Amino acid sequence: MKEITSRQWFLLIGAILLILLAPLFLKTVQIRILNEVIYFSLFAVSFNLLFGYAGLLSCGHAAYFGIGAYTTAILLKRLVGMPVPLAILTSGIAAAVGGVIIGFFCVRRKASYFVLLTMAFNQLVWALAWKWRSMTGGDDGIGGFVPKSMSLGIVTLDLSNGGMVYCLSAVIVMFFLFLIWHLLKTPFGNTIRAIKVNEDRPEFLGYNVNFSKLLLFTMAAFFAGIAGSLYALFQDFVATSSIDLAMATQVIMMAILGGTGSFLGPVLGAGIFVYFTDWISHLTDRWEFILGALFIILVLYFHRGAIGLIPKKLKSIFVSAKNQ
Amino acid sequence: MGSMLPTFVIQALHGLVYGMLLFFVASGFSLVFGMMGVLNIAHTGFYMVGAYVGYTVFTKTGNFWLALIIAPIVVGLLGALVERYFLKKVHAFGHAYELLITLGIFFVIGEVVKWIWGNFTQPSRIPPSLSGSVHITGLTYPDYRLFVLLISFVALLALLYIFLKTRVGIAIRAAVSDADMVNCLGINVSRLFLYVFSGGAALAGLAGVVAGPFLSTHPAMGIDMLADLFVVVVVGGLGSLGGTFVASLMIGELQSFGVLFIPQLALVFQFLLMAVVLIIRPAGLFGEKI
Repeated sequence: MKEITSRQWFLLIGAILLILLAPLFLKTVQIRILNEVIYFSLFAVSFNLLFGYAGLLSCGHAAYFGIGAYTTAILLKRLVGMPVPLAILTSGIAAAVGGVIIGFFCVRRKASYFVLLTMAFNQLVWALAWKWRSMTGGDDGIGGFVPKSMSLGIVTLDLSNGGMVYCLSAVIVMFFLFLIWHLLKTPFGNTIRAIKVNEDRPEFLGYNVNFSKLLLFTMAAFFAGIAGSLYALFQDFVATSSIDLAMATQVIMMAILGGTGSFLGPVLGAGIFVYFTDWISHLTDRWEFILGALFIILVLYFHRGAIGLIPKKLKSIFVSAKNQ
Repeated sequence: MGSMLPTFVIQALHGLVYGMLLFFVASGFSLVFGMMGVLNIAHTGFYMVGAYVGYTVFTKTGNFWLALIIAPIVVGLLGALVERYFLKKVHAFGHAYELLITLGIFFVIGEVVKWIWGNFTQPSRIPPSLSGSVHITGLTYPDYRLFVLLISFVALLALLYIFLKTRVGIAIRAAVSDADMVNCLGINVSRLFLYVFSGGAALAGLAGVVAGPFLSTHPAMGIDMLADLFVVVVVGGLGSLGGTFVASLMIGELQSFGVLFIPQLALVFQFLLMAVVLIIRPAGLFGEKI
C-alpha cells in the first residue's frame, strides 16, 4: 500500500475545504442534494467494507441504516433536550448492537446463505418498524424531532439552516471516512482482505475468521447507523422506507456504480446515484423502473463501476488505498 | 374448550393451505439453489406475476380454469427468458452477481406490475363455482380453500412422480448433489437448469393464481412472500425438497396460530424459529452438513 504523497495531501485538503465551504456559494436546493450525497457516502462505504473488502455481500445493510435513523428520531422525540451529538453516537451504537446480534447468525454461514440471512433479518427489522406502532409510528413514521438549535460548548448551531446541517454531516462523515481508511491499514484490515481471498488459509494460520468477520460486520453496522442518523437529522422524518429492501438495494447499487474495488468508489457511486435519481425523478414518474433497469445493466455490463472508467493517471489521485 | 376446538381445526386447515402454497413457491427456489447455487430473488416476483396474469385472464374471460392454465405457462416462459438472457450472462462473474441480477429483475417486475395494473389492491374474486362452503359436523370451511388444498396435493404428487420416477427427475436430483459430475456424465446440465428454473417459475406462477382470490392481489405480495420464503428455506435447508415441505407446513401453521393468539408478534415468531434452527442446526433441519 502506498503512502499519500504531498501532492495528494494538497488535493485532499483542498477537497475538504471545498466541501465545507460549499454552502457559501451554492443554492439551498443544491446543498440539500449534496447533503444526501454526504450521508449516503458513509452508508455506501460501510457497505463496501463488507462487500468490497471482505467479499461479504450483505443484502440487508439497510437494517442498520434504519436502526440508526429510528434511534435518532425516537431519542430526539421522546427525550427533548438530548444533545444531538449524543443522539448520533447512540444511534451508531444501537445499530452496532443490532449488527452483533444479527451478525452472530450471519457470519457463520458462507456465500449465498450469508446473503439470504442478511436479507431475511433486514425483513425482520423492517417488520418490527412497521408493526411496533407505539414506538415507531408504523407506516406513518416519525417526524418533526430535530431541535431548532444545538450547542457545542461555546458555539450554537442553527439546525433549521440547511447549510449548518450539511456542514455538521460533512464533518462527521469525513471524520468517519478517515477512521475507516486508517482501520483498513491496520493488521485487522489485512486479515479482512485475506478472508476475501480465501477463508480457510487465515483460519489455518490461527486467525479467528468468524470473530474478525463479526467484528467487521459490527463496525459496518455502526457506520451505517451513523449514516442513518444523519439521514434522520436531514429529513426530519423517518419511515419504513429507510429500512426496506429498496434501500438495501440502493446501497448495493451505489457501491457497484462507483466501483467496489476501491475505497472512494462507493463515494463516487453515492454521488452519481443521488444526482441521477434527482434528475430522472424530475423527468418521469417511472423513475423507479428506470433505476431497476439500470441496476440490471450495471450488473450485466459495468460491474467494475465508474471508477474503472476513469483514466489511470487520474485514478491514482482517487484510489490511494487499493483493496486488492 | 368445546368452543375452542372448531376454531382450532379451522386455523390448522388455514395453516395447511398457506403452508402448501408456500411449498410451491419455495420448492422451485430451493431446487434452483441446490442445482446452481443461485439465490433467485426474482422468484417471488414470478409468484406475483402469476397472480396478476391469472387475475386478468379470470376477469376478462370469466373462466378461472383458463387462468389456472395460462398463468403458469406465461410465468414459465418469463422464467426461461430470465434464465437465458440475464442469469446465464453473469454466471462467469460469480454467485454474488447472479444474485444481484435477480434482485434487479425482482424490482423491475414489481415496477412493471405497478405500471400495468396500478399501485393498489385488486378486488379478489373467488370463482362462483367454488364460492360456497362445506359443513361437516358443525364445522364450516370455504370451498375455495379446500380446492387450493386439493390442487396442492395433486401438484405435490405430480412433483413426486417426476422426481422419483422419470429420467429428468433423477438427473435433477443428481445435479443437486453434484452438477459438475452430472455434466461430465453426458447430461446437458445447462438445459436441465433451464427446465428447473422455468418449471420452478411456473410453479410459483400457479401458486400466485390460486393465492390471488384468497390472499388478495397487490404489488407488495412479492415482498411479503419473500420474507416467508427465506425463513422456509433456512429452516428446511436449502436444496432439500423434503426439508422445504416440512418447513413450509411449519411456517404455515406457525403463522396461522400466531395470528390467532398473538397477532402483533406473528411475524416475529417465524424469525425466532429461524434463529433457533440456525443455532441448533445451522444447515437447516434437513440440509446437508456444510
